[in-house]
Amino acid sequence: MKKWVATITLVVVAEMTAFGQDVRIVRPGMEISSIDISAFRIEEGGQGALFLRTLESDLDRSGWFVLSKRGGAAITLDGSYSESAGRASVYGDLNNRAMGRNFFRKTFDDRKTAARKLAHQLADEIVRAVKNAPGIAATRIAMVGARSGKKSVYLCDADGSNLVQLTKDDGICLALGWAPDGRSLVYTSYTGGFPDVYRIDLDANRRVALSKFPGLNACADIAPNGSEMALTLSKDGNPDLYVMGLGRRGGLERLTRTPHAAEASPSWSPDGKRVVYVSDQAGTPQLYVTDRGGRAAKRVTFVGNENVAPDWGPNGAIAYSSRRAGRYVVYALDPDTQVERQVSGADADYEDPSWAPDGRHIVCARKVNYHSEIYILDSKGGNPIRLFRMEGEWTSPAWSPK
Amino acid sequence: MTKRTFLSAAVCGLGLVLGAGCASDDASQLNPEGIGADAPLPVRGALGELIASHPLQSQTIYFDYDSARIKDSETPKIQAAAKHLIENFRVQCELEGHCDERGSGEYNMSLGERRAQAVRAGLIGFGIEASKLHTKSFGEEKPIDPEHDESAWRKNRRVEFALYK
Repeated sequence: MKKWVATITLVVVAEMTAFGQDVRIVRPGMEISSIDISAFRIEEGGQGALFLRTLESDLDRSGWFVLSKRGGAAITLDGSYSESAGRASVYGDLNNRAMGRNFFRKTFDDRKTAARKLAHQLADEIVRAVKNAPGIAATRIAMVGARSGKKSVYLCDADGSNLVQLTKDDGICLALGWAPDGRSLVYTSYTGGFPDVYRIDLDANRRVALSKFPGLNACADIAPNGSEMALTLSKDGNPDLYVMGLGRRGGLERLTRTPHAAEASPSWSPDGKRVVYVSDQAGTPQLYVTDRGGRAAKRVTFVGNENVAPDWGPNGAIAYSSRRAGRYVVYALDPDTQVERQVSGADADYEDPSWAPDGRHIVCARKVNYHSEIYILDSKGGNPIRLFRMEGEWTSPAWSPK
Repeated sequence: MTKRTFLSAAVCGLGLVLGAGCASDDASQLNPEGIGADAPLPVRGALGELIASHPLQSQTIYFDYDSARIKDSETPKIQAAAKHLIENFRVQCELEGHCDERGSGEYNMSLGERRAQAVRAGLIGFGIEASKLHTKSFGEEKPIDPEHDESAWRKNRRVEFALYK
């Protein structure tokens, strides 16, 4: 096992500003509140301006707020950002004055270099307090990037900043997935010459091979309990789905048995009792749902001749990419009622969707003229937002679970 | 050779005789009983040194979109490959499955593997030992023609033979 342990190079790619790149059309609706943060004070110099820019961007990207500076906003944020002796401190006082309601008065404190992190924290607190919903400002997005033709794993904040290169596969890699604790990633890489499944431990900066059977080892998705993963293996013949234990005892159970079909892309239900996956047993790739024991597999997509890349979200809906009239379009499906809803436009190819932990936003690869970039979709409406602007091909995004 | 491999090779020879001439739209109509389709893959360590130049490089097998079916036009190539492998019985063969760029990268990993395994089942049907037949899928990651049109896609949906001493 030892020779499969490799150190991961951590390279800061660029300090990028993710602000003001895309014009956003906010769909009018009761769920969106106006918020005024113009009374929030920052000190001259230091990271105050960065803090404020980040906070504004986070509130905008949350999808829950429109920023207002003309008074009359429903929600007002007072408070301050200040620095002293290497520390940065934030005080936030959030009110709905018309209703006479105070949401919170809170202080956060961190290293002076953590202005962005503090802004993400405050933004998520505001979303939680006003909308009773999980925020996404402090989350991260992993993806595959090919900046010189060769692929490696990258990681950035949910607003596209702090992009770092995690691995140096310099070859083929794909199918990223997060462990439920958000501290490690699994993915498929050819770094050892064959398609194998690896885990990247983000705390220890280390990579370990998890599955390297003969043939294909691919598309791993860690179960919500964190102690096993579903993946595609072909060691016993045709590609089928298996569940592999991640503990010391390991263990392997077969989920599907289709000698004349290919399976791919397993994704666990939030309760860990079911798995959605792709199978071409009916002649075209379609989505199927099976229980944890591999019994009662049921086809759940019937429209279109390609339904692929499912991701079962925390809200119970399955996001996937469906080929309609020659375009790949992201849909969200309720697997029990089989009601589907279109999430992306059909102006480009939208592929590989991954739910944010708020169950509202989806990150996906958007391809135009065979050039792929990462975009964020809001399932409640609005234009897709480009994650960052950077040369290269960007695919296989995966949103962190927290 | 393990007892199990020997048995599967023997049974597969029989499958060829029984299955000759059967038409099927399944992936392995060369081997319609699917005998050998579930023959476990040999361990990777069995692959020795790559043979840089060999006659099977001109026998690449091509496929239809989203399909792992062996087309009639491709059957003689598998037969030629089987003949070469029988004549060079020490050689190990890696079947490399590829897809065109369209569709899901993850599904294409599995489809490429299934294409390689369909060719493998065909070779097993011609009596080649399962223990000599390895597979590797590259999904859509290694196109032979980088263009974005049907002519390129047709060339990219393929299984190549890599031989090892």
